[in-house]
Amino acid sequence: MISKADKVKRAKKHFNVGSADMSHGEKRIIDIDGKRIGIFNVHGEYYALHDRCPHMAGSLCGGPVTGTALESSHGEFVYGKEGELIRCGWHGWEFEIATGQCLVDQRTRAKTYAVTVEEDALVLHI
Amino acid sequence: MMPIIDCDVHNDWSTAEVLLPYLDPAFRDYFIRGEQPGPPGAFPHAHRPWLHPEDFRRHDIQPKTEDEHYQFMKDHLLDKHNITVGILTGEEALEASTLANRYYATALTRAYNEFMINEWLPRDDRFYASMIIAPQDPEGAAAEIRRLGSHPRIVQVLMSHGSYRPYGDPFYHPIWEACSEMGLPLAIHLGGQGGINYSPIGSGPMTFYWTTHALLCQPAMSHLASSIAHGVFEKWPNMKLIMIECGVAWVPPILWRLDANYKALRKETPWLKRLPSEYARDHVRVTTQPLEQPKNPEWLHSTLEAMDGKNTLMFASDYPHWDFDDPTQLGIPKDWRDNVFWKNALETYTKIKMPASVAAD
Ligand code: FES
Repeated sequence: MISKADKVKRAKKHFNVGSADMSHGEKRIIDIDGKRIGIFNVHGEYYALHDRCPHMAGSLCGGPVTGTALESSHGEFVYGKEGELIRCGWHGWEFEIATGQCLVDQRTRAKTYAVTVEEDALVLHI
Repeated sequence: MMPIIDCDVHNDWSTAEVLLPYLDPAFRDYFIRGEQPGPPGAFPHAHRPWLHPEDFRRHDIQPKTEDEHYQFMKDHLLDKHNITVGILTGEEALEASTLANRYYATALTRAYNEFMINEWLPRDDRFYASMIIAPQDPEGAAAEIRRLGSHPRIVQVLMSHGSYRPYGDPFYHPIWEACSEMGLPLAIHLGGQGGINYSPIGSGPMTFYWTTHALLCQPAMSHLASSIAHGVFEKWPNMKLIMIECGVAWVPPILWRLDANYKALRKETPWLKRLPSEYARDHVRVTTQPLEQPKNPEWLHSTLEAMDGKNTLMFASDYPHWDFDDPTQLGIPKDWRDNVFWKNALETYTKIKMPASVAAD
């Protein structure tokens, strides 16, 4: 996986996307040149995902930020990853916000972008 | 641009109280003061024992007002995908089939049909509609079919696939007869899995929503076999059965099994003149959503070929549900697209008039 620093370096455009006042589990959907992008705060870190689901191009960020039942043995339900996942607004596939990794399919990943905090502003690098 | 006829568009409401002005006064008190299956405004029905853990509607579409229900549909479906015709299939009204009181059930569907005609059809010229019936009341349903059947924008009669018994049963023949008389296809749509209707899953109820949903093709298998075996298509040769949201890829193997058994036991149903698969080819149409998505699309294509899918499948999106199919992503062979996206529906629903721009192409 490419590091955040590399992503920032490779990005062609940089946008101020509002103040860095989000808290864990919050999402903000913004529109940049007609491209919808979800900005998230997960445990104090900022992340961005393209609002286009790799399954069928649905509104990935239109779904809820959530946790889920972690892998467990039969009949056991262990809730975890609270605020770390986005459930696609269409068919509900779960994705890790930080990496874009889809939980049920190792080969599926949502497009991520780097977000940095500069002074009190969020800067999105795409 | 290719026209699209979407055969499964759900016109939902925020509260079932929208039906009140249309409900027969004899039943209005049932609705207002009577016991409700949920908070005020819940549609009277017996609920299924499987609750979707995230709601069965798409999470990115959350209309609050009745106007927003239409506006969101216009933005997210009709305009976005250039839908030429959307066939409305209602939402909870289908669940009237779960009520034991057949008279109340029919009154509710009648109120829904009036609501739909008065408050949905005028919103958009692209709309055509299904009228909903309560099949547990075949005589009441037949009267409703005759009352509204000649409406120029009502193109089919719709009931839930969860049922009291398989739909070819002579108990339901008044419904088939009325449909045939009015020239309307009879459609079944996934739903009605509670109350007086038998458990839709053979061997008893499944535990989880996702497995249940995947297996909800089971009742449709029964309706398909029953309609053919009871000679519905011999008795009413102009009839078509439409299976909406019941799955697709199971159809050919079930027809193979039916053909094989019929060859040996024809004498049980001496009124039949052709193989089950031949009746199906001419009289049964299947909507695509949710189209199966195997790893290798070729596996699906050869199965669909076995049911002459090019001529028997009709596109449906199931907007705005969690298992919505996007028209730009439909996994069918390229040279079937015109047929599946509109021509087959146009042939099935003869009342649909395509806009002049399409007709000219
Ligand atoms: S489009 Fe996101 S889960 Fe299907």
